[in-house]
Amino acid sequence: MRRMSVFPSGTSLGNLGLTANVLQQEDENNTSELVSELANLSDRARIQAIRSLPMSYDERRRIRSRAISVKTSKNIFNIDCSQQVSRSFRRFGASVASARQWLVVWHGTLKEIGGRFGTSVLSYFLFLKWLLKFNVFSLIINFCFITIPQIVHAPNISNVTGFRGLELLTGVGYFNQTVLFYGGYNGEVIVSKPPYNMQLAYFFTIAAYLVLCGVSLIYSMSRSFQKNFVLESGPVSGGAWRLLCSWDFSVVNEKAIQNNKNNLGTQLKESLSERLQMKHTMSMSERMKYLSLHVLAWLLSLGLAVGSCAGIYFLGIDQLTSSLNHNPNDLTAEASTLLLPVVVSLINLIVPLLYSLISIMERYSNPRAKIYISITRNVVLKMSILGILCYYWLNSVPENMVCWESFVGQSVYRLLIIDFIFCLFGTFFGEFLRNVIGTTCAPSLGVPEFDIARNVLDLIYAQTLAWIGIYFSPLLPVMQVIKLLIIFYMKKVSLSMNCQPPKHTGRAAQMQTVFIALLFFPSFVGALSMVAYTVWSLKPSKYCGPFQGLQTPFHTILSWTVYIQNLPGTYWVWWIFENVLRNELFYYLVTLIILVITYFLWQITQGRKELIRTLRQQIVNEGKDKAFLLNQLQNTQKQRRQMASFRYQEFDQTLHFNPNWINTLPLDM
Amino acid sequence: MGNKQTIFTDEQLDAYQDCTFFTRKEILRLHGRYHELAPHLVPMDYTNDPDVKVPLALIVNMPELKENPFRNRIVESFSEDGQGNLSFNDFVDMFSVLSEMAPRELKAIYAFKIYDFNVDNYICKEDLEKTLNRLTKEELTPEEVNLVCEKAIEEADLDGDNKLSFADFENMISRAPDFLSTFHIRI
Repeated sequence: MRRMSVFPSGTSLGNLGLTANVLQQEDENNTSELVSELANLSDRARIQAIRSLPMSYDERRRIRSRAISVKTSKNIFNIDCSQQVSRSFRRFGASVASARQWLVVWHGTLKEIGGRFGTSVLSYFLFLKWLLKFNVFSLIINFCFITIPQIVHAPNISNVTGFRGLELLTGVGYFNQTVLFYGGYNGEVIVSKPPYNMQLAYFFTIAAYLVLCGVSLIYSMSRSFQKNFVLESGPVSGGAWRLLCSWDFSVVNEKAIQNNKNNLGTQLKESLSERLQMKHTMSMSERMKYLSLHVLAWLLSLGLAVGSCAGIYFLGIDQLTSSLNHNPNDLTAEASTLLLPVVVSLINLIVPLLYSLISIMERYSNPRAKIYISITRNVVLKMSILGILCYYWLNSVPENMVCWESFVGQSVYRLLIIDFIFCLFGTFFGEFLRNVIGTTCAPSLGVPEFDIARNVLDLIYAQTLAWIGIYFSPLLPVMQVIKLLIIFYMKKVSLSMNCQPPKHTGRAAQMQTVFIALLFFPSFVGALSMVAYTVWSLKPSKYCGPFQGLQTPFHTILSWTVYIQNLPGTYWVWWIFENVLRNELFYYLVTLIILVITYFLWQITQGRKELIRTLRQQIVNEGKDKAFLLNQLQNTQKQRRQMASFRYQEFDQTLHFNPNWINTLPLDM
Repeated sequence: MGNKQTIFTDEQLDAYQDCTFFTRKEILRLHGRYHELAPHLVPMDYTNDPDVKVPLALIVNMPELKENPFRNRIVESFSEDGQGNLSFNDFVDMFSVLSEMAPRELKAIYAFKIYDFNVDNYICKEDLEKTLNRLTKEELTPEEVNLVCEKAIEEADLDGDNKLSFADFENMISRAPDFLSTFHIRI
């Protein structure tokens, strides 16, 4: 019988004398209760509950049919009709679900990757797929709402230069006046049956997309946090977890399984040897030495980051002044605009390697701290580079250029393309050549491991750039989509040919949460604040783009609300906008309320932690009680048997045996 | 999709859809896989619920299970007779629990069954030793094996009876969020 039995065999409860009949009766009672509970639920809840029953399929089917018959016997009227309707709805929903599953791309590929390399490497590809969804969505809405109206009612393009090959890399020239960049759009109201205001469309499309992204990120982040960050009280990374919870069942490739077995053996040996050797308490001087090494390492890393940022900033200023003075048809000058992106990509490539060299000299208490610190340093580097670029774009460029938004869009475009090219080269040199070296020339190096953290951070960096660039170049997602598709296939091929799965896989779920959190803050928040600053405070260029002539792009909304105010019947929209959304008091109140609720929830969490501690102690006590009582039971039974064997000889003796011993057992044993 | 297939009746497919985590299309695909395992044994027509069981030896040769160290225990835990002979319903049930949509509690119950080699509803030290031997082969010496299993029981045993009951196991699972993604076989 596959059902979890209520009375485990093999304990001394077995000789309580319960017969098979009694057990069967108990079973039948439980089933009837279960069926009546199920019949009271709604359809969807019932299906979920039935699916989660730990019984064999046949029993579940029986319970399902019993529950359905109980339910229909209650609703005597309209049985057939409503049942048919709900059944056809469910069938429709299931067919939609299976159609959607057919649309899920790469199902076979992902299964293969998961089968050979395990779930942590698979999480990188799933992350890539998720980013791809964002970009495809943005592409579709930008194309539909902004680009198509613009193409249909094309503005007069002033000077068209011929298409040369260099445009693909630099984005200037032929692409300058196309819809690829901000400058290719104009803000007139297209006169059609409902007049289509291009300014409002541009503003609202981009705003809606960013808001949706933000909401989706927050939702994923909180769900992932809830699933993966549990209260870690007690030893979690010990042998029990590694033995029973960490084996990856989805790996099906023989070599990979052998690898995993070796890794597990090594890790168990390591943890054993750590326990066995006495944890020597470090002397004061040793501790000071390690602390000063840590401080030195941090200073070096931050110094490198600051140095790179300064270098990029001055190079940018230099480029700006030189680009203002060159002839638009000068190819070399145009190619020199590629210098800045190349420098940025080189820094992104080399400095993390330096960071890993620096971290060799430090000593960490556990390997997880090492990974987190390395991720922190890399994030600081990448975000400070992006920060300095944004500062340069928003401060120095607008005063000096005529159509500065297009220039910013082109810079972002160049950065993305060069980053992509470097990624291709990085995979080739980093993984392919290293594999060749590792197997033929220097076998001690071994096959390279697939470095998940570094690859995910590269993806996050590219996505930040894409989010920054959306306002300045609405069709930038095209490039990002193509780039992500090519990277997916390239990484997959490189993985199969060159790499082995990472050795220390533990805590992959927590790393997932960390990556999603990094995607939200600082990546998305930074991009959003930059776009918000541009829209709110910067003066758009006078002669190009949809917001030409306005004080700030936000003034479109202001003039639109003035227009609405004069329309009959929509006064309340204007009233909400003017007195609620533009009123600071509203935001203070909302913040205050949220803070109060957060404090309240935090107190609840603290109380629950305390409760868990108490309950755990109670479990231990109950275990001791149970052991004690079982002991008592065995002793009294032994006494009883001894007394029974003496009875034939001494039947005058009164028994000192309590026949009500069964009432002293706790009821729920 | 639609009314072209004659393997199952509509009611059967509805029941499969309501009682497992698979859609109709996946059930039909699973039937194809099940049929492949023993084409002479498994009929193509399941409308009258034939009582056919595929033996253990054929099932553990599936590519998804072939290299898994626990393949025998997995198949035995889902079989009615405990010997590993699976009917189609057991087969579907097995992959349904091992799919990514099954909730944590359900997976914990079956994981406990799989690791409980002597089927006494407790994971005792011998069970842990067998698990460890399947997972590491000749890497660890017998003393190390002994030590690891003792430490594991010490860590996870809450009520102090020197073996892991289902409650202890579930408590440990709840603190391991990776479990949901690692206890998963794609088909």
